[in-house]
Amino acid sequence: MKNLLSRSRGPGLDERLDALRIAVEIGRDRLQPEAIEPVSAVLDRASERMGLGAELTVVALAGATGSGKSSLFNALTGSDLSPVGVRRPTTGVAHAAAWGETTSEALLDWLNVPRRHGASDPDLDGLVLLDLPDHDSTESGHRLEVDRLAQLVDVFVWVLDPQKYADAALHEGYLRPLASHAAVTTVVLNQTDRLTESERRRCIADVARLVEADGLRGVKVLSTSARTGEGVGELRTLIAARVREERAATERLSADLDAVSAALARYCNGAPGDISKTERDLLVEALANAAGVQVVSTAVAKAHRRDAALATGWPLTRWLRRLRPDPLARLHLRRDSGGGRTSLPAATPLQRAQVETATRRVGLQAAGRLPQPWPEVLRRRASGASEPLLDDLDRAVGQTDLGEERRPAWWSLVGALQGILLTAAAVGFLWLTVLFALEWFQIPRPPTPQIEGIPWPSFLLLGGLLAGFLLAALSGLLARAGAAARMRRAEKRLKGAVEEVADELVISPLDQELRAYATFCDAVRRMSRR
Amino acid sequence: MQTQTVHDAVVRLRSVLSEVAFPLDLPAAPEATAMKLELEGQIEDYLLPRLLQIDAPLLAVVGGSTGAGKSTLVNSLVGRTVSASGVLRPTTTTPVLVAHPEDMRWFEGDRILPGLARATGAPPKGSTSLHLIADADIPRGIALLDAPDVDSVVQANRRLATQLLAAGDLWLFVTTAARYADAVPWEFLRRARARSTALALVLNRVPPEALDEVPQHLGEMLNREGLEGTRVLTVAEVVLTDGRIPGSVLVDVRRWLDALAADAGARAEVVASTLEGAIASIAPRIDALVSHLEAQISAGGSLAAQARDAYAAALEEVTAGVSGGALLRSEVLARWHEFLGTGDLMRSLQLGIGRFRDRLNQLITGQPPVENEVRTEVERGIETIGLAACDKAVERTQAAWRSSQPGRSLIEDAGAPRSSSARLPAAIESEVRAWQGYVLDLVRAQGAGKRAAGRAVSFGVNAVGAALMIAVFAQTGGLTGGEVAIAGGTAALSQRLLEALFGDEAVRNLTNDARTDLLTRLSHLLESEAARFEDLASRATPDRARIAELRSAVTAVEAAR
Repeated sequence: MKNLLSRSRGPGLDERLDALRIAVEIGRDRLQPEAIEPVSAVLDRASERMGLGAELTVVALAGATGSGKSSLFNALTGSDLSPVGVRRPTTGVAHAAAWGETTSEALLDWLNVPRRHGASDPDLDGLVLLDLPDHDSTESGHRLEVDRLAQLVDVFVWVLDPQKYADAALHEGYLRPLASHAAVTTVVLNQTDRLTESERRRCIADVARLVEADGLRGVKVLSTSARTGEGVGELRTLIAARVREERAATERLSADLDAVSAALARYCNGAPGDISKTERDLLVEALANAAGVQVVSTAVAKAHRRDAALATGWPLTRWLRRLRPDPLARLHLRRDSGGGRTSLPAATPLQRAQVETATRRVGLQAAGRLPQPWPEVLRRRASGASEPLLDDLDRAVGQTDLGEERRPAWWSLVGALQGILLTAAAVGFLWLTVLFALEWFQIPRPPTPQIEGIPWPSFLLLGGLLAGFLLAALSGLLARAGAAARMRRAEKRLKGAVEEVADELVISPLDQELRAYATFCDAVRRMSRR
Repeated sequence: MQTQTVHDAVVRLRSVLSEVAFPLDLPAAPEATAMKLELEGQIEDYLLPRLLQIDAPLLAVVGGSTGAGKSTLVNSLVGRTVSASGVLRPTTTTPVLVAHPEDMRWFEGDRILPGLARATGAPPKGSTSLHLIADADIPRGIALLDAPDVDSVVQANRRLATQLLAAGDLWLFVTTAARYADAVPWEFLRRARARSTALALVLNRVPPEALDEVPQHLGEMLNREGLEGTRVLTVAEVVLTDGRIPGSVLVDVRRWLDALAADAGARAEVVASTLEGAIASIAPRIDALVSHLEAQISAGGSLAAQARDAYAAALEEVTAGVSGGALLRSEVLARWHEFLGTGDLMRSLQLGIGRFRDRLNQLITGQPPVENEVRTEVERGIETIGLAACDKAVERTQAAWRSSQPGRSLIEDAGAPRSSSARLPAAIESEVRAWQGYVLDLVRAQGAGKRAAGRAVSFGVNAVGAALMIAVFAQTGGLTGGEVAIAGGTAALSQRLLEALFGDEAVRNLTNDARTDLLTRLSHLLESEAARFEDLASRATPDRARIAELRSAVTAVEAAR
């Protein structure tokens, strides 16, 4: 089978079936069921048929009631297996004749043809010939049987007759929809014994014209008469050639694949959009807003100032700070408060709306000018992300290192300095107290050392207090600058975390979907022989 | 039967019928449209002419499958080639009417088949005008019309054949031994039965071996279909001489035709029975059309309802959004909280330096006064929530419409909106502005009643208005976590402030009024958004008035017969 296939142009059938499999997999959840089901039916049928002997050839004689299918069937089998009559419709169920040992019972079971006959002829070894019921009589059950078997057979032999060859039921119901199956189609104008030679020739030409107009290119039109046997030999030779080639089953599938590819091409005629930097930034902005990045980074700044004040503030008033709540702890964002979850406010309807709008926009952007159902699929993907987004954003914020633990070195330096200054002030205060006590008890004081005319104890007390206060004020200014820097840093980190979440939950699913589109359309292209 | 009254009633029915359409893409719509066109055609081509001139010759339309030998039959009856026949299918594309020269005047004018042009002489190929051929071999009182086939690939033929058959007083339906069980012709036979059109079948091309079995089987089939008693004229298959069937084989048909021609009473009976049948078939056909109309109306209604539901959900979202108390960013809330908490407001109200303080604050910090910020924030918040809800509603409607064929067609062909209208953001903004104006008016009006409150309000209407807005948004709780601390506290503070100014009862009324006003405004906006879909659906939905009109027109026809 392999080397037979390699004879045909283009990619091999296996590759094309692979492409079909991919297209079905991608299309299953995305296309409308009525669009994807026939496609997946082709896939199922292909693997079933290939497993039943690709070298066997199933030929169906199909046609209108009274066209003489059964007579031809009998002429080809050299028997009167299929009843022939003047009452219409004659054949109610399909008849099958199988040639040779190789034709498996399994294939006939798969075709589900109730009437089976064995035949033997070395020329036709490997042939299963079906006599189908009519497709145009008042018995609608016949039509259903024809429709079912038309999906399964390898070669169509349409039996036409001079009266009915232009019927809409045939051309609109079967030949046009099967236009892609020209390679496995033969048209026979039967009952030519009713026509004169010149009429026959004109009729054949007219049939050929109609068949061509149906879109079936290069189809052979034979003329036969089951009654006189004219042309039956030619038809038999043609069928025998098909059987010998052992290629009809794969050609049928190949035609199916062409048809499927053509049908699916309409889902591929568009240009996907591109998620631009601006759109992405807008999304991140909205998500950051919803995640409370602003709130958290402000809290980081406030916490920094609080921590700085606790470390470097004026020792006399520093304790007051402790009475104010820690803004970060209130949001449960302190490392030591444990757990990843924050108690940031739950997303408000406003934030939710912002997130939804932003994701929707990105989805629309990604859809570009794709044909349905892709815009719908992308939209669903994008808006489906909204709910988990809010949770994940919360988690991301909770796990971001805000840098609130790091204590700058100068804090301890200033802290120590504040200690020294306080000690100096205390020493000055004690000294003065002692001096005051001596004075009070009228005990003569030792001379107090002076610095630039100011007594040391006073200098120590006042200088210590003043310097401490000034140092605290200076530290406050420094802490303010530090807080601003830290806020920026935290904001940057939080935005980074938000960006990751946006990429993971919005951008990459959309990218994935766009890739699915590309893979699908690539598969659709590869499926076709052309 | 008063033909004139019936005529008038049918004319009225025709004018009502011309207004009927089935624009929604339901699976049955093409069938319904075809049914309506057919009825219109029959009224135009058959009923009205026949009602006007009950004495006109009987028009026998020769119809049937392609290749059944209609033209051959007509040629053989006339005795010369008047209609092209041959082996190539379909042969006849041009309708040919053959009548006695003295009957010709009935057919030359626009009395019947007014839509078809008339031509004389040899019919050119492909012409669809009605060819009139006078032939003295045709008995007086009967005209034969050779119609194109009903079942070939040429669609124009099928349409024309249907029109011509509808115009006939009598169908001479031609089938063959190979064709008599085909599905398509039987659909026509059933139609003839449904309208009690006079019917005779010609079973042509019966091979000798089938002469017993096939006519008998056809008879059984006719019985099964409720067409028992239909005349079946069998014509054996013979070699044509000169493209015509020899008279000896055609003797049955000839005899039947001559008998009909000879008996004016029988002819009148055929005409009357077909006419009555056609009139009687109007009511059930109109019933069928009415049920198609009803299906359309209900499908259109459910499309409109889907849009309405989607926007009702949007209104709920908006309502929840503006009631959550979290419409304002926490920074702004915090500022407002500070402003209230520090007593700034009360002091500025009491001291009457509100405006001065604002200016100063603005000058120093570069920040707008907090109450202005609250108002901007409210505007932005409502706009965001409203837009998101509307966009979602568009999506929901689109998804709902896409799930049915008529909806899909509306989206793809009628261009249903794919997004919210472009003017929506501006519309929301102006509505919110108007609402804020209303809130301030409320505050002023409330203030005018009480002296103390009046003084306070005159100093800081904006601030009091902002407090009222916040109280509106916080009306339903549902807050969790840290937000309660801010929003809840703020709302409580705002509430306390308002109560201090106006009293509990008044505050409750104020918040209710303000809230109702906001939601009314927003729901009007949403309605106008929904209307874009609903209008589309209702434009594509037939008017219910058509049903009543049809019913009354049909009652008039029924009463007249």
